[in-house]
Amino acid sequence: MMDNLYRSEEASARGDAAIVVISLFFVGLLIVAFTSNPISTGTQPGERAPLFSGKAYNGTGWQTFVFDDLLTPEWSPNSTGDAPWIAIEFLDTDCGFCKTSAEKVGNWAQQYSSSVWDGPEVIFIAIAVEFVADSSRSEIQSFRDSNEHTFPYVDDLDRDIVDEWEVGGTPSYFLVQPDGIVAWNSAQTVNSIAWDAKTEDVFALTDFTGDNYIELDEAIEQLTKKYGGETQ
Amino acid sequence: MNEYAILSIHGSIILIGVILMTPFGDVLGGFLVNKWPSTATKRGRMLAGLMMVCTGGFTVSAQTLWMHNKLSEGGSVCSGSELLNCDGLIGNPDYNTVPFIGQPWGLLGMVAFCLLLWLAITVAKEPLALSTQTFLKAGLGATIAGLPVIGLLVSYEIKEGLICPFCTAAHIANVIAMVGFILLLRMYESEEWAPELKKTRK
Repeated sequence: MMDNLYRSEEASARGDAAIVVISLFFVGLLIVAFTSNPISTGTQPGERAPLFSGKAYNGTGWQTFVFDDLLTPEWSPNSTGDAPWIAIEFLDTDCGFCKTSAEKVGNWAQQYSSSVWDGPEVIFIAIAVEFVADSSRSEIQSFRDSNEHTFPYVDDLDRDIVDEWEVGGTPSYFLVQPDGIVAWNSAQTVNSIAWDAKTEDVFALTDFTGDNYIELDEAIEQLTKKYGGETQ
Repeated sequence: MNEYAILSIHGSIILIGVILMTPFGDVLGGFLVNKWPSTATKRGRMLAGLMMVCTGGFTVSAQTLWMHNKLSEGGSVCSGSELLNCDGLIGNPDYNTVPFIGQPWGLLGMVAFCLLLWLAITVAKEPLALSTQTFLKAGLGATIAGLPVIGLLVSYEIKEGLICPFCTAAHIANVIAMVGFILLLRMYESEEWAPELKKTRK
């Protein structure tokens, strides 16, 4: 083959053309690489949260819920405005831990959306999945009503959202920046890792309670107020 | 810079290629012949036109890859109109990557147009090589293989009720390249391919 390459002028033409085309390809790729900073979609800190929509129970009935509608794409750590953060809880109405944590999650939802809270508003969403036993919309409704929650419960009994968000167990919590970037994920291997939107790098949250586990409220306290302490 | 101003640059490259491939290419070739003597012949103009079309397809594909990245950052790059809107398609995670491969469509476009460009340049450099017909057939096959892909992407546009002008420009470039390869194959089978050889034989 090498012998043919040395003797064949056709091979030279192909080689010359290949050099031109490969150069063009890499110049194109380099321009794209140097002028953009792509963010992959996923659920680890720093990744863009997967978008979803579905039917959500808000206390009166099941209505269409679109996650994108909560986002503020133009938000940045330096921007001003009242862009809300989003806390997402994945729960199963038959899961014991979800039942025991329901009261504190309800309290957090009240606390971080009230005027007493001096940080940005945090919108809570629950995504009801079916892991343990058969569940139904009526079960979701009674779970929400019995815990006096005020935030919407999204029906994910078919597990579309939970699979895309790669949630392996409940309850799992996520804190999402106003621009849709995952700031913290309770189910990651090292639970304290969070995303710093200013440095665009991960950092470790402080464990206030000393139990070696970061709770959603600890993540909210440290992350939402990180960018000035006031509504961004 | 306005997105349509950028699109017009890609469109101009493709348009020059199309003109070179048509009978109007005689006039345009007259201006280029001093710099590129190969454009003096019909075959040379056709191949030069095909190369321009592939280059335009490559640059517009690279632009859609850039848009894909920018949209992932949370920006907006082309959403000025309710109908002509790239953000709703290139920024839509349900449609913006190649099935099974998971890579952006723009990257596939860049690779595809580079392949076509390589075939065109090789044929232009060695038009009388034994492999020329194979290369032309390969180019035709590759562009035909692009048609179902275009069909899939157009189905996404219909589904979302949006048109992505940049994607459409890349689709048009593929179709023009396909026509170009068909015309070149026909020319190859005729005496127009190498009229100089015909003269020599006489």
